[in-house]
Amino acid sequence: MSIGVIAEPVRVRIIRRRRWGAWLLGAAVLLVLAIIVVAGARARIIDPDVFFHYLTSGEVLLGARNAILVGTVSMAVAVVVGLAAALMRLSGNPILTGVAAAYVYFFRGTPMLIQILFWYNAFPTMFPRLHLALPFGGPVLVDAAMPAVVTPFIAAVAGLGLAEGAYMSEIIRGGILAVDRGQQAAARALGMTRPQMYGRVVLPQAARIIVPATGNQYIMLLKSTSLASVIGFLELLRITQGIYSANFRVVELLAVAAFWYLVMTAVVTAIQTALERWFPVR
Amino acid sequence: MNATSEIQRQDAIRVEGLRKVFSGFQALKDISFHVRGGEVIALLGPSGSGKSTLLRCINHLEEIDGGRIWVNGELIGYEEHGAVLRQMSDAAVSAQRRAIGMVFQGFNLFRHMTALQNIMSGPVYVLKAPRAAAEEKARRLLAKVGLADKADSYPAQLSGGQQQRVAIARAIAMDPKVILFDEPTSALDPELSQEVVATIKTLAEEGQTMLIATHEMAIAKGCADRVLFMVSGELVEDVPAAEFFAAPRHERSRQFLAMHG
Repeated sequence: MSIGVIAEPVRVRIIRRRRWGAWLLGAAVLLVLAIIVVAGARARIIDPDVFFHYLTSGEVLLGARNAILVGTVSMAVAVVVGLAAALMRLSGNPILTGVAAAYVYFFRGTPMLIQILFWYNAFPTMFPRLHLALPFGGPVLVDAAMPAVVTPFIAAVAGLGLAEGAYMSEIIRGGILAVDRGQQAAARALGMTRPQMYGRVVLPQAARIIVPATGNQYIMLLKSTSLASVIGFLELLRITQGIYSANFRVVELLAVAAFWYLVMTAVVTAIQTALERWFPVR
Repeated sequence: MNATSEIQRQDAIRVEGLRKVFSGFQALKDISFHVRGGEVIALLGPSGSGKSTLLRCINHLEEIDGGRIWVNGELIGYEEHGAVLRQMSDAAVSAQRRAIGMVFQGFNLFRHMTALQNIMSGPVYVLKAPRAAAEEKARRLLAKVGLADKADSYPAQLSGGQQQRVAIARAIAMDPKVILFDEPTSALDPELSQEVVATIKTLAEEGQTMLIATHEMAIAKGCADRVLFMVSGELVEDVPAAEFFAAPRHERSRQFLAMHG
């Protein structure tokens, strides 16, 4: 039989399934949130006047600035060290691979707090003087007592940056490995050298995988700057603690610190989103 | 110059006694052949016979375990010091690869670049050509492979056949002396294969030297001057194409032809 007459289309109405469970759960969550906020407001756990007074006080802003400074410099160190360690790990040379693997093991395997204390206390004891000179009787470039060189800032950057570099190296290595091997073969076949292959072909594609995880690490690192308080570095948490130990407005001051950490996080999230647009999924 | 190097100079590709071993497995066993300038060679043989490995040795993507390879009279990957072959630096090998184009089974277009940027990548990054000149050439090559309207498309937005034609344009943009094709149509359905076959035919007519590993008989019959037939790492036939299809000598060639028509 040949193709028959096509039936007149019947107009039908489509009714999508309602997800009642999700809506009910959402309503319950909102209710719980409302109860908490109302209870908090009734108990006056936060005195708005105290909160706003300290929010923009000079001391607090200094602490926030220091947190951003140490966090950002450490992150820059971590990206450079991490990239170097990742490329060493992938180089195929047994010594470079071994050194990179050992670095990742030690610096990822010990608490950041111990590393910060090590750089500030143990390292200057091990090497009391920093003495750099050109060989064969050349001029002395640097000669200083190590404790004067390793300030709390330097020790915090060394501790946070090198620990974070170990994590970054694994993130970058993962990103590179996720790029199809054929891309490398094509780059090499065109006559690109190894640095050109990484710079023009592999890393721009690996960036798509590296950037979101790096945003995560950056945020974590900004908050980890509070660890530097153990070596007397004046960062946000230490400063707020100093204030509330004098006036006992614990909740307000912790809220002030939390507020500034949230601002930093928002800025990093914005940077991450912009970078993800720069390296879109293709 | 002595006589041998004169002969080598005339050959676009010359392979002598090539051996390649992968952890105890002999992938290539004493391969010798030559390709004259302008010749189109079909490299046939069952899967796993070493065709891809042979191509990857010619541009030194694989390090060889014996023998020597010349492209345009230049010893690939090594400097000859008497009886010693010393492996070249990364930069020197990279410079040699500029003259050797390669087209892959999986296309391998740079996924973060548009079709136009892919074609420009070699001239701009490797040859340091001025951008404007490279772009003009890239547009001309895109038109040549029939994709003038796809300049700004990313690889993921192109069909397999279109991607492979861009990949061919990317290879030609370097003005290579020879182009190596590693099963250029094996990842494509028959219809898309035809686009790629047509592009390869055009290049053959223009006198481009090509060594094409393939299962596509349309390429082997339609453009090849000669057929090299490989079986488990050995080169068993090196004959004019017409002869190969009319009267294959080797038993394995006859089986192969019976399968592929």
